[in-house]
Amino acid sequence: MKIPQMISEAKRGKLSRRAFTQSLLAVGIVPVMSQVAPRAASASSGHATVFTWGGYDVPEMYQPYIDKHGELPDFSIFGAPEDGLTRLRSGFVTDLIHPCMGDIPRWRRTGLFQPIDTSRLSSWPDVIEYLHDTPHNHEDADGGVWQVPFDWGQTSITYRTDLYELEGEESWDILWDERYAGRIGMLATGDDAWWCAAIKAGVPFEDIATDEAFEAISAVLREQRPLVRTYTDDTSSLNQALASGELVAAMTWNSSAVELVYEEVPVRFAQPKEGALTWVCGFMMHKDAPAPDRAYDVLDALISVPTGEFLTGDYGYGHSNGKVLDLFTDEELAALTLTRDPAELLEAGHRTIPQEPEWTSRMNTTYEQIKAGF
Amino acid sequence: MTVTSELNAPAGADKTAFAGLRRLFFQNESLRGLVLLTPTLVILSITVIVPFLLMGAMSLWTQIGFDYTDDWSFRNYGIILTEPLYTTLLLRSLGMSMAATLVTVMLAYPMAYFLAFHVQKNKLIWLIIITLPFWTSYLLRVFAWRVVLGYEGVINTGLMEIGLISEPLSFLLYSKSAVIITLAHAWAAFALLPIYVSLEKIDKSVLEASADLGEGPVMRFLRVILPLSMPGVIAGTFLMFIPTVGDYVTAALVGGPDSRMIGNLIELQFGTVDNWPMGAALAITMIISITMVGLLFMVLSRLLKRWVAA
Amino acid sequence: MSDQDTVKRHHFHKANRSLQAYAFFFMFVLYAPIMFIPLFSFSSGLYIRFPIDGWTLQWYGDLWERTAVLNALKNSVRVGVSVAIVSTILGIFAAKALVRYRIPGKGPIIGFILLPLVVPPIIFGVALLLMVNALGIPLSLYTIAAGHIIICLPFAIATLLPRFEGYDAAMEEAAADLGENSWWVFWRVTVPIILPGIVASLLLTFTVSFDEFVMAFFLGGTDLTLPLYVWGQLRIPRAFPVVLALGTLILLFSFLLVFLGLRIGRRGAIKLVDRD
Repeated sequence: MKIPQMISEAKRGKLSRRAFTQSLLAVGIVPVMSQVAPRAASASSGHATVFTWGGYDVPEMYQPYIDKHGELPDFSIFGAPEDGLTRLRSGFVTDLIHPCMGDIPRWRRTGLFQPIDTSRLSSWPDVIEYLHDTPHNHEDADGGVWQVPFDWGQTSITYRTDLYELEGEESWDILWDERYAGRIGMLATGDDAWWCAAIKAGVPFEDIATDEAFEAISAVLREQRPLVRTYTDDTSSLNQALASGELVAAMTWNSSAVELVYEEVPVRFAQPKEGALTWVCGFMMHKDAPAPDRAYDVLDALISVPTGEFLTGDYGYGHSNGKVLDLFTDEELAALTLTRDPAELLEAGHRTIPQEPEWTSRMNTTYEQIKAGF
Repeated sequence: MTVTSELNAPAGADKTAFAGLRRLFFQNESLRGLVLLTPTLVILSITVIVPFLLMGAMSLWTQIGFDYTDDWSFRNYGIILTEPLYTTLLLRSLGMSMAATLVTVMLAYPMAYFLAFHVQKNKLIWLIIITLPFWTSYLLRVFAWRVVLGYEGVINTGLMEIGLISEPLSFLLYSKSAVIITLAHAWAAFALLPIYVSLEKIDKSVLEASADLGEGPVMRFLRVILPLSMPGVIAGTFLMFIPTVGDYVTAALVGGPDSRMIGNLIELQFGTVDNWPMGAALAITMIISITMVGLLFMVLSRLLKRWVAA
Repeated sequence: MSDQDTVKRHHFHKANRSLQAYAFFFMFVLYAPIMFIPLFSFSSGLYIRFPIDGWTLQWYGDLWERTAVLNALKNSVRVGVSVAIVSTILGIFAAKALVRYRIPGKGPIIGFILLPLVVPPIIFGVALLLMVNALGIPLSLYTIAAGHIIICLPFAIATLLPRFEGYDAAMEEAAADLGENSWWVFWRVTVPIILPGIVASLLLTFTVSFDEFVMAFFLGGTDLTLPLYVWGQLRIPRAFPVVLALGTLILLFSFLLVFLGLRIGRRGAIKLVDRD
């Protein structure tokens, strides 16, 4: 074809436009493009966004919300709450985030959160007072709270009763047992590991900010490192490794043991003689929450009785709604290593104490060094 | 920007106002080219150069709790150079990606050779099939190796099924070798293509000449093909080595405590550890070390070339 | 060793058995690990292990009940399409400029544009995060898209450059001689000729963005893209088989797009690495 001819063809639209549209149609770009209108990128669904651990994004925990709004809220998943806080501090905005009680004063200092008006939560009167009644949670909260408690439980050891030969009482020594080098799993976050190591090292939590405490805890964790196969926050990996026998013992939360027992893997959630690490976690609201009304609906769903029944029955965590505990017999609670009175369990173990941001950075930096072998 | 708007001005716009500019624009080739390049260069400057400068600035700050001090100092770099954690991980990352690169280049060379000299038909299809995985989800390709190498993964359960082993091999996953294998696999196409291109370019008559001189296939390969394909090998090495040094997904998914890489450390500074200035300093240190290793490699390959030529 | 001619033919033209075997082995190793994802997505067991107990399509069914998956898919498509269009348009301009005009410093400019191809993506992710944060821009799909444009531009330009190099500039000149304005010439003459390059560039950049994880990890807001969703789900054992099903679909879709893109783009993919 000669050039002028081609140009005149093109000018009449024979060559260019048809070929163009056809090839676009062929690859489906035209239909897709018509779907893509430039829209605001933030929370386009209108739902509240919940920033939490993996496993807390299941419909069973949000039934009242689903009944009201037709769908689950949106989720973002963090590996550890501290990770989440870094993201929030870098301009990431979610309506709710799921840290633990000891974090409240430090997190509040970032100025990123707003107090929660408990009068907007229909199930609030049933929430166990012991779980939210701390000075940090109420001060400057305009009569509300900074954090609505949700789950409580222990950080301890899940071990294979068939593969791990227990000598004497259950103790934190299980995770330091040289007979099982290379078959121990650890949580990757200092939020749990550092405090548990403090229990093992015999450091009282009041003294945890001293240099001596740093020395002692680091020494214990360094001693353990050659025994550890993997450090992870990924409970999926830990569970699968415990189920297969790749690990014989791992630092976990209640849910790992409960889930493995349901799968008929012979495991126990240890009650170490030195005491377990106990915790209460809950939800805080971002000061710029894009969907605050729905966030309140999420909170109300979270502290409702059906959610609690699922949380306790399926995950083995305590729930903040007092009525939930009435649904379980003493035997069932004992099997889940829970108590009827949260105070009994929480005070039998060791509870974390709020720390300064400087302490947290030093702790995390040190733990990372130890994990890497230094 | 008058010049750009001129380019987009519809026909019949007020020409007199721009007449001078327009003439200049159409007469000056470089100017027209630069105008076309402007949007790309502006966007890349905003998204690459500015952030890099910022990163350099931030690396000179110090994080204290939730705040930064705004005094400028090389404190972070001092820590990186003196604390064994940082230097070890940096060296380890360089070493591991070097190993992965070596493995890949060596395995990819025969494949590239096959493609260049033995495939006559459907060359394009072959090339497409080889590069196909490279374009698609990196995350899933790394994850696939977890499926393969896991304690209850494909290899272990497969070997146990045939009765070769009675207990799963635990060294497969969470190890340095797992990271190296995964990296080698994930970046294979990147190393292969340049080698293929340089082999493909070799003039067949040179080979025939060499054969006519009575050289056997081995000598011909060593004396003709290998030296002529060296530029491709070097390019492939670079293209794979540089990006893999900073990889963190692979070490996070298939690596263990002893195979963490510098990328994991950088990610942590922007996550759990929350020390952005340190993260920035680490990123910059990484770029500098990659550049240094790259330069060293280039000098060595020059020397080698001269030595071969002599 | 016999006659030299036979040696020559043997070496250059005939298939070398062992080399051929190696080639097939290489392809096998390249594809086998990836194929386990589809394989186990049809397995009825929760865990990945041999032998496979039974086969099921259940996980694919579960997939469509998850609004989060569909939302992530929508977000990924939205980002991918915008990134593909923007980087291809920029790529067309830049490729034309680089091929058609004598530009001072052409080499360094090409190097600069192709740089993101080799710099570890974590560096760009982190650097952009710092800037976005300093400017107070909230993290969103837009920031992900901005990050993706950096890594997609080299692919777009490398796909388009050979197209511009491959055609006769005389056609544009002829059109211009006929008195057409430059915009018309571009739209009616240049675009149809480089069309395969454009389509290839759109397909390839879309896939690169669609599958990209690292940039999205650092620059993403609350709206997740598919790789981010997959990353979050890897932690939950019960979600595992569904993730495999999702992964299978992502792989299938990406393979299809890239295959088409590379077929249409032809030389581009290979040229990509041939210019440093």
